[in-house]
Amino acid sequence: MRLRRSVAKWLVVLGVLHGIVVCAGFFAPYDPAEQDRKSPYLPPMRVHVVDEEGHFHARPFVYAFRLRQGTFDQYEEDAARSYPLRFFVRGARYRLLGILPSRLHLFGAEDLRIYLLGTDAYGRDQLSRLVFGGQVSLLAGLLGAGITLSLGLCIGAVAGYYGGWRDDVLMRVAELFLALPWLYLLFAVRAFLPLTVRPLAAFFLIVAVIGEVGWARPARLVRAVVLSAKERDFVRAARGFGAKDVYLLRWHILPETGSVLLTQAAILVPQYVLAEMTLSFLGLGVPEPVPSWGNLLSSLQQYSVLVSYWWMYLPTLAMVPFFLGYLGLASSLQERGPAYKIERRSLGSLT
Amino acid sequence: MQTLIKVENLVKRYARRNPAGGQEELLALDGVSFEVLAGSTLAVVGESGSGKSTLALCLACLEEATSGSIWLEGKDICKVAEKERREMRPQIQMIFQDPANSLNPRWRTLEIVTEPLVLRGGISRDEMKKQVYALLGRVGLPAETAKRLPCELSGGQRQRLAIARVLALEPKVLILDEALSALDCSVQAQIANLLMELQGALGMTYVFITHDLGMAAHLADEIVVMNGGRIVERGRAEEVLREPREEITRRLVAAVPRLTRSPLAPIGR
Ligand SMILES: Nc1ncnc2c1ncn2[C@@H]1O[C@H](COP(=O)(O)OP(=O)(O)O)[C@@H](O)[C@H]1O
Ligand SMILES: [Mg+2]
Repeated sequence: MRLRRSVAKWLVVLGVLHGIVVCAGFFAPYDPAEQDRKSPYLPPMRVHVVDEEGHFHARPFVYAFRLRQGTFDQYEEDAARSYPLRFFVRGARYRLLGILPSRLHLFGAEDLRIYLLGTDAYGRDQLSRLVFGGQVSLLAGLLGAGITLSLGLCIGAVAGYYGGWRDDVLMRVAELFLALPWLYLLFAVRAFLPLTVRPLAAFFLIVAVIGEVGWARPARLVRAVVLSAKERDFVRAARGFGAKDVYLLRWHILPETGSVLLTQAAILVPQYVLAEMTLSFLGLGVPEPVPSWGNLLSSLQQYSVLVSYWWMYLPTLAMVPFFLGYLGLASSLQERGPAYKIERRSLGSLT
Repeated sequence: MQTLIKVENLVKRYARRNPAGGQEELLALDGVSFEVLAGSTLAVVGESGSGKSTLALCLACLEEATSGSIWLEGKDICKVAEKERREMRPQIQMIFQDPANSLNPRWRTLEIVTEPLVLRGGISRDEMKKQVYALLGRVGLPAETAKRLPCELSGGQRQRLAIARVLALEPKVLILDEALSALDCSVQAQIANLLMELQGALGMTYVFITHDLGMAAHLADEIVVMNGGRIVERGRAEEVLREPREEITRRLVAAVPRLTRSPLAPIGR
C-alpha cells in the first residue's frame, strides 16, 4: 500500500502539532496552574526586534507592562524596561511524557514572566494552558475515537459476517443511536453523576461516554466492507482449507476494513475533541485547575470577558490547525479509498 | 473404477429482495443428480447463469444446499454437522475463475501457499517452507516468485499458484470453476497440460466447469450440460460433441471456435 503524497503531507502536519502538545512542558514556558495574581487579564506581549529609538536588535525582546494612568485594568508597554528573550532556559519543573523530570524550556526571560498569549483572571499563562490543555483534549479525542472504532469494528463485523437476526437487531439499534440527540443525552448522563469528581475520574468518564456514543456510523461502514469481503473468493478458498470464522475474520476480512477505519478515525478525533470542549466549556467536563481546551474557553461565558479581553479568544485560533489537519487527512484518505479499489480491480481484469 | 461422488436431487434456492421490496425466490439448482468415478474428469458445461458456480460451491461445502444429498465415500456431506464439515472441506478443493480474486492481494506467494499447511497443522515451520518450495516447483513456478504479490504475477502464474496451494492439502476432488476461462489460449493449454499431468500423478478426481464445450470435450471423460439449474444432457465427451441432442447443447457446440482446438490437440486423448 503506497502512501499518497497528500496523505503524507497531512500526517507530517499533524505529527508536528501533536509533537508540540506531547512535549508541552518544553514548549510551554510555565506551569499551566501557576498563578500570577498581580497580573490578571494581561494582554499578549509583543515580541520586538526594533526598539523605541529605531535600533535593530538581533535578539528579540519584550517590554514589561505598566498600568495606564487613570485606569485599573488597561496596560501599556513600558519602553524603559525591556527584557531579551532567552532560549533553552531553566524554569518550572515538569515531567517530559509524564516520566522524564526536566526544567528545560524552549524560551523565557530573566526577571519577567512572558505572556505571549496573555493571562486569564488568575494571571495564568494562556500559552502554557493552551499547550498543556491540548494534552487533555487530544487524549480525550484519541481515546474516544479508539473506543468508538473498536466498538464499531466488533459490532459491524458481527452484523456483516454472521448476518441474519444479529444483523437485523444490531442495525436497528445503530439507527436508533444515529437518531438520538447526543449532546443533550451527554448532559443528562453528566447530571446523574456527583457534582465534583476527581479530575482523572472525570476525564475517563467523559472519554467513555463520548466514545460509546458514535459507534453506529463506523459499524455500518465496517458491516458493508465485511459483507462484500466475505463473498470474495480468497475468503471462500481459505474456508475451503478448513479455516474457522475467527481465522477468516482476523486474517482475511478485517484487514479490508483498514482504510475505512483510518478515514473514520480522522473524522472522529476532531469531532470528539470538540465534544470534550463543549462539555468542559459548560463546566461538565474535566474540572479546573486541569487545563483543557474547553476550560480555556469557558471564561468566554462571561459577558465582561467577551467584550473586554479579546485575547481570550486566541486559543480558538490555535486549535484551527488541528482541525484543519484532521479534516485534510480525512478527505485525502477518502480520495484514496476508491482510487485504490479501482486500481486493484483493473489489475484483476488484466489477466 | 468406483464412484467417488454421488449427487442426488440437489436443490439450491436463493431468496433475494427484488427492487419492489418483496422476497423473490430463485432456483439456482433444480434437482441435479450425477455421479463421478474416482480418478476421472467430469465436465459441467452450461451458459452463464445456468447454476454451474452454485453447484461448485455446494460440492465444495461452501454453500449449503436447500435439499438433496452429496455422497462422498459413503458420507452425505450435506447432512453432517458444521464441525465435521470443516474437517471434510480440505478433501474437496476448488480453483476459481479469477485468480486475482481468489488470492489475497495483500499476501505474498510464500504466505499464500503456506496458508493451507498452517491450517492443516501438524508440521514444523521449516518443513512447511520446504514443502512450499517443492509445491512451487511442482507447478512450474520459479522460486523467486515466493516473495512476490499476486498482482506482480502473470495470469498463468497466478493460476499455477492457486493450484500449488490446493495441492498442499492433497485433495481427493478438485473443482475447477472456469479455471481456464480468464487465460489466453497458449496459457490455457499450458495450465490444462499441468492439470492432466497432476491428475495422472496424484489420481485426483476433477469436476471441470466451463462454458467452453470444446475445452470440456478435450479434458473430460464425461460431460453434463446444464441449463436453468437442471442437467439437460449427459454422455461421453466425444458423443456429446458429435451428436448433441438438446437445442442448448447444439448452441454450445456451435460456439466452439474451431481455431482454439488446434493448440489443444496434444492434450486430447
Ligand atoms: N449468492 C447468491 N444470491 C442470489 N442469487 C444467486 C447467488 N449466487 C448465484 N445466484 C443466482 O443463481 C443463478 C446461477 O448462478 P451461477 O451458479 O453463478 O451461474 P454460472 O456459474 O453458471 O454462471 C444466477 O441466476 C445467479 O443470479
Ligand atoms: Mg460461474
